[in-house]
Amino acid sequence: MPDTLTLSVPGKAEYVSTVRLAISSLAAKSGFDVTAIEDIKVAVSEACSNILCHSNIRDEYIYRVECTIHENKFEITVIDDGVGFDADSYKEPELGCIQGGGLGIYIIKALMDDVRVVSNDGAGTVIKMTKNISHSSASQAEKHNKR
Amino acid sequence: MSLSINGNYDEQKKRWSFDLIGEIDISNAHQLRKQLEAAYDVHPSDIYLDLDKLNYIDSTGLGVIIGVYGAIRGNEHKTVILNPKDNVKKLLRITSLDKVLIEQ
Repeated sequence: MPDTLTLSVPGKAEYVSTVRLAISSLAAKSGFDVTAIEDIKVAVSEACSNILCHSNIRDEYIYRVECTIHENKFEITVIDDGVGFDADSYKEPELGCIQGGGLGIYIIKALMDDVRVVSNDGAGTVIKMTKNISHSSASQAEKHNKR
Repeated sequence: MSLSINGNYDEQKKRWSFDLIGEIDISNAHQLRKQLEAAYDVHPSDIYLDLDKLNYIDSTGLGVIIGVYGAIRGNEHKTVILNPKDNVKKLLRITSLDKVLIEQ
C-alpha cells in the first residue's frame, strides 16, 4: 500500500511556501531529478494559490494537501471545500494575448503528467495532479542515497 | 520566504532598473506591484527587471509583471525581463511571456 502524507494548511498566503518546501522535499526523496522537483514545486504552489484566490476563504479556513507516493508516480491532491467554481467553464488563457488571469491551472497542466480538476459552485474544488517517476532518475537518486 | 526589491532610476538611460532577489509567490506579489507602481508614478518610463537572483516565481508574480506590462504599454513604455534562471525561463516559455518580456 502506498504511503500518503497529508498536510492541513491554514488558508493564509504565508503557508504556501511551507507546503511547497515539504512536497518538494518528499519529491526529492522519491527519486525525481531537479527539473521534475521544480515542476512539482510550482504545480503544488499554483494549486494552493488557486484555492486562496478563488475559493473566497477566510483566515481560519483549513485546506488539505495529500501526497501519495506510488512506485512509479507521485500523486498530489489539493482539496478545499470553499465556494468552488464551474470547472467546465474554465478556458485556457489566450497566450498570444497577454493577460494575468487563468495562468495557474494552465501552468499546472503544462508541468504535470496528468491533471484533474473537479469543482462545482458551492461544493469546493479538488485538484489532483500526477507526476510519473522515470526509472532513470529513480535509480540515480537511489545510488545517491546509498553513498 | 523573502523577497528583496532594489530599484534604481537611471537618469542617463531614462529607465527604471529593478533587481528582484529571493522568491515571489502569493504571499508577497503585492509588494512587487506596489513598488513598481510607485516607481512608475515618480518616473513614468521603461521598466527593466533583473531576475538573476530570483530563485522562484509563480503565476501571482507573473500576473503582477503582466499587469505592469499592460498598464505602461499604452504610454509606449516597455517592461523587460533580464537574466531569468532556467526554472523561471521555463515558466516564461510555457506561458509565451518570453516573447513579449525578453528582448530578442
